[in-house]
Amino acid sequence: MEGWLAFALQVGPVVVLLVSTYFIGSAVEARHFRGLRMRELRSRNFPIATLREVPEGWKVEECGLVSGSCVISLDYFKRFVAGLRLLFGGRIASYETLLDRARREALLRMKESAHAAGYRAVIGVRLETSQIAAATRQGGTAGVEVLAWGTALKLRAP
Amino acid sequence: MSFEPRLPRDDVNVSPTHPLAEASWLLVAAAVAGLMLAVLAFAATEVVARWLPPGVEARLFGDLWDAFGEEAGADDPPRAALARDLLARLAAHWPENPYRFRLVALDEEELNAFALPGGTIAVTRGLLASVESENELAFVLGHELGHFAARDHLRAIGRGLVLGLVLRAVVGAGAGEAAVPSLASELASRGFARDQERDADAFALQLLAAEYGHVAGAEAFFRRLPDADAGLAERATAWLATHPVSESRIAALHDLAARSHLSSSGPLRQL
Repeated sequence: MEGWLAFALQVGPVVVLLVSTYFIGSAVEARHFRGLRMRELRSRNFPIATLREVPEGWKVEECGLVSGSCVISLDYFKRFVAGLRLLFGGRIASYETLLDRARREALLRMKESAHAAGYRAVIGVRLETSQIAAATRQGGTAGVEVLAWGTALKLRAP
Repeated sequence: MSFEPRLPRDDVNVSPTHPLAEASWLLVAAAVAGLMLAVLAFAATEVVARWLPPGVEARLFGDLWDAFGEEAGADDPPRAALARDLLARLAAHWPENPYRFRLVALDEEELNAFALPGGTIAVTRGLLASVESENELAFVLGHELGHFAARDHLRAIGRGLVLGLVLRAVVGAGAGEAAVPSLASELASRGFARDQERDADAFALQLLAAEYGHVAGAEAFFRRLPDADAGLAERATAWLATHPVSESRIAALHDLAARSHLSSSGPLRQL
């Protein structure tokens, strides 16, 4: 009996954490996606591109570096599911949404900061991801940073 | 060059799988894999338990238990020397015995005894202090020798290792290593199976009969446990957890003695 009690005491918190972080994580994620879609809609007329050179015919008045970055972390549920991938391999679907959110958020922040500074477009956009905290088994919150940067342009009227 | 304002698509970089579907698929698959792994490893344990030569076993595990108790240190509890002598005498009645047994006294008040790989029998100080006759102690030691005869101790160790391994792979992958160790040791520290205990009891009876000419005092230890004074009963919970005592087990002892024509009455030797 004692053994099962100990078993329950060890497994119980894990189950509670899994269930609660699933619901919390899903709610937070859904809200973030809604926010992303709204801001993307609002800023859709602000052009960003990966072009390395100014397109022909554009009269550049001023240029500058703009960047946006987003640090995003795992939740317990996502880490648990990803951990099970250790046994089988395959796509870690639970991380895909995280990185999608981080990329879109970083791009939006870059766009919004460029827009706020009076720029009209950003070219030469690059994205970079870096791990800023490892997922240690004992604890610590794993996180990645997605950094988006590019050359913002102010254009003279043609 | 023209610019077409378009929204990023939601569904390019994100798999359409629902997270719960992914989680449950993985959990079920992990459980099935774990089960298969456990079955295989249990089978392997059985093979090892049956075929591992005792010499190899002694070399593998010989020094492992030194940390548990002194062989014959200055703080050797009273009766440890006596128990050692008794163990040697009992082992002499097991002619084909492949082990060189040693006895270590654990500095614990709980009543318990263990058969450890390599031929080591560990007895707690509490058990040594609580036995009332040499015959009682002989039955406890004989019982542990019975586990060696059937090589149950290897099965128990193997089971612990297997459970640890499987739990580490399955639970550890998801929830982290921290959740594993005590769980594994908890599950592994469960006693031997009932029939293993019965067989070890039978073995002990044979040794007792060979040593004393009768098996009196064999079940005295069990008999005293339930209605012993509160202190003893409390300390005996460890023994009870790993060596479940029941009326049926005592009855089985009597049965066995009667069937093997072992006399169940005779003088008890004092300690």
